[in-house]
Amino acid sequence: MTTAMLELQDVHTYYGNIHALKGISLTVNQGEIVTLIGSNGAGKSTTLRTISGLNSPRTGQILFNGTRIDRLPAHEIVRLGILQSPEGRRIFPRLTVLENLEMGAFTRNDSVTMKEDLERVYTLFPRLRERIAQKGGTLSGGEQQMLAIGRALMGRPTVLLLDEPSMGLAPVLVEQIFTIIQDINKQGTTILLVEQNALMALAVAHRGYVLQTGLIVLSDSAAALQSNETVQKAYLGME
Amino acid sequence: MQTRIRKSMIGAAFGFAIALISGGFAGILAGLVAGLINGYVVPEAEPLADKRRAIVQGLTVALVGSVLTILGIVLRNVVIDPIIGVPLNLIGVAIAAVGAVLLCVLVSVVMCVVRTEPPARERIGMAIVVGIILVTYPWLDQFLNLRFMNEVIPVLVFLLMALGLNIVVGYAGLLDLGYAAFFAIGAYAAAMVSSPHFGLSLSFWLAIWVAAAVAAIFGLILGSPTLPLRGDYLAIVTLGFGEIVPIAIKNLDNVSLSLWNYPLFVDVDLTGGTKGINPINRPWLPIIGEFSPSNPIPWYFLILGIMLISIFFISRLRNSRLGRAWTALREDELAAGAMGINTVNVKLLAFAIGATFSGLAGAFYGAYISAIFPESFRFDVSVMLLCMVILGGLGNMSGVILGGIIIQFADRLFLPQMSTVVQKLIVASGNESLRDINFASDFRLLLFGLTLVLMMVLRPQGLVPSNGSARVLPVAAGEARHD
Ligand SMILES: Nc1ncnc2c1ncn2[C@@H]1O[C@H](COP(=O)(O)OP(=O)(O)O)[C@@H](O)[C@H]1O
Ligand SMILES: [Mg+2]
Repeated sequence: MTTAMLELQDVHTYYGNIHALKGISLTVNQGEIVTLIGSNGAGKSTTLRTISGLNSPRTGQILFNGTRIDRLPAHEIVRLGILQSPEGRRIFPRLTVLENLEMGAFTRNDSVTMKEDLERVYTLFPRLRERIAQKGGTLSGGEQQMLAIGRALMGRPTVLLLDEPSMGLAPVLVEQIFTIIQDINKQGTTILLVEQNALMALAVAHRGYVLQTGLIVLSDSAAALQSNETVQKAYLGME
Repeated sequence: MQTRIRKSMIGAAFGFAIALISGGFAGILAGLVAGLINGYVVPEAEPLADKRRAIVQGLTVALVGSVLTILGIVLRNVVIDPIIGVPLNLIGVAIAAVGAVLLCVLVSVVMCVVRTEPPARERIGMAIVVGIILVTYPWLDQFLNLRFMNEVIPVLVFLLMALGLNIVVGYAGLLDLGYAAFFAIGAYAAAMVSSPHFGLSLSFWLAIWVAAAVAAIFGLILGSPTLPLRGDYLAIVTLGFGEIVPIAIKNLDNVSLSLWNYPLFVDVDLTGGTKGINPINRPWLPIIGEFSPSNPIPWYFLILGIMLISIFFISRLRNSRLGRAWTALREDELAAGAMGINTVNVKLLAFAIGATFSGLAGAFYGAYISAIFPESFRFDVSVMLLCMVILGGLGNMSGVILGGIIIQFADRLFLPQMSTVVQKLIVASGNESLRDINFASDFRLLLFGLTLVLMMVLRPQGLVPSNGSARVLPVAAGEARHD
């Protein structure tokens, strides 16, 4: 039997009066890539922000390895090993690539493992090694995305939350990023992947959830979702 | 060679200006300043290979520095002084010129040689040169009959505050427009416990810690409501605090407090109102005795000591985990949170630690003047401090010190001196209509505003921009050098 690593039970999140999540329940098992797809404004980012503790749910529970985390502050959730590469990348523009990566290891601050992890990130993203002393803000969009993922990896995540890693990237780069996401998963990191690019997301994920205006309307294996008619029409652009 | 001479113009310009504005034997000091600046600025343009080349370079930049300084001395002491009624003293001019050249050459050459050393030794060498100048300055001042000491001390007080403000604005990126409030709070906290006002009369050495602690607590109190705010909203709220604190101090001279109709105290004079608190205890040390208002030297070394200790602590902080957290916060608050940084605590610590240095400065200042008034801590103090931080370069301590020195000396010394000279020239020219203009006080704020605007347009990173890459961890720095 697979074990649920991350579990959301009937989570409701509000922005003031705006009811953004209207009872989300989902599960991410150890070793999986789970994708959360949906159109703009569906509540995908809000779901990740709620897991990370950047927004707190009004009702409902979030469990990580069986213990509740929905009332913990964001920095403690990071310490548990839940790391997020936020929407829009949000790298530190005036810090170098290396300094950005070091910030990712903020909670650990252990120079020996830090060196190992840097090596791991550079192996996944050889491009970052070439740009080591360049300021984050001067990187290209694709490089910034690599840096954002690499920075999250420096925190040694057990669960990695990725918010639209393909946003604004050229098709070749998108393929490259998704291949690397699979590699990271094979190395043992559980991934919750939020995407508008449903085609690519379902191609790499094991399972998927479809989110529509704050509600989960479908959930199935990635393969089943790919052949689902509604999904094809609404998110894969097929008639 | 070209860049070398172009860069030596920086120090030369300072030498020229000081000699021209201050007159008398200040020309000798001008030579020293020119040599010091050029010895620091120039060698970076061309890394020096060996000692002989360093000496040659030192002599070249000293030449540029001293020629302009002598020009300043001659222009002031020979041309202007007779017009404004100061008798021409050719022997004095000669002494000033020779002294200026000697000091300029000595300092330039020594600095250029020090800069050829490997980094660790270079840093020690620089510290020794600057240390010697700082330690001998009071006697140089006396010997040259400059009388700058009474201005140097408040300059150092303001520099200390600028370093504290730099933690808040430069390191953590929180724009604070009311920072002078903590100066006031520190000064009043120390004054209340170290004066006959409440009959407490603690020693200065205890009061200064009280001031630091109270300022830090107020840093937390005033910082906490601003936690959700960013950018311009934060600036406006802190601006409000900066205005509220002096007004509150002015009105806390008649405080009554009762709990459920049971009066706890009635009509207590907490702050002395507009009259302020006066006198305040002065520091006392064995051998020196009580610091005297007529002898600035002990005060100078006291504030210099406080500065040095503060600089040491701030640079340690800068490279600590907290310092890195401030950097992340300044760059992107959301991302900082995503890295596991407790942004709430990190912000509060920036306010509290920043306020601490202002508190120390306030305690010293109160004891030095031996009186404080609510009017001394208004908005223009905050603006002046912000100018100091921005001119030198946000987030860079040596930049802030440099910017602070320039602004403070301009404000306290050179503008008033220049103004006096110009007024005398106007009187000498017989132009009656202009004689009431005092541009030291009339144009002071205009000049600050102009400096800020020009800096923002021409060089937003400041005179000495902060260098992000200098802060990598040792392990990672090894990596970086492979590429
Ligand atoms: N900071 C905010 N304040 C108010 N409403 C917000 C905020 N962020 C998101 N929302 C609203 O919440 C809903 C979900 O947004 P989001 O989670 O960003 O969607 P997605 O990531 O799926 O595009 C949207 O209707 C959006 O307008
Ligand atoms: Mg989104």
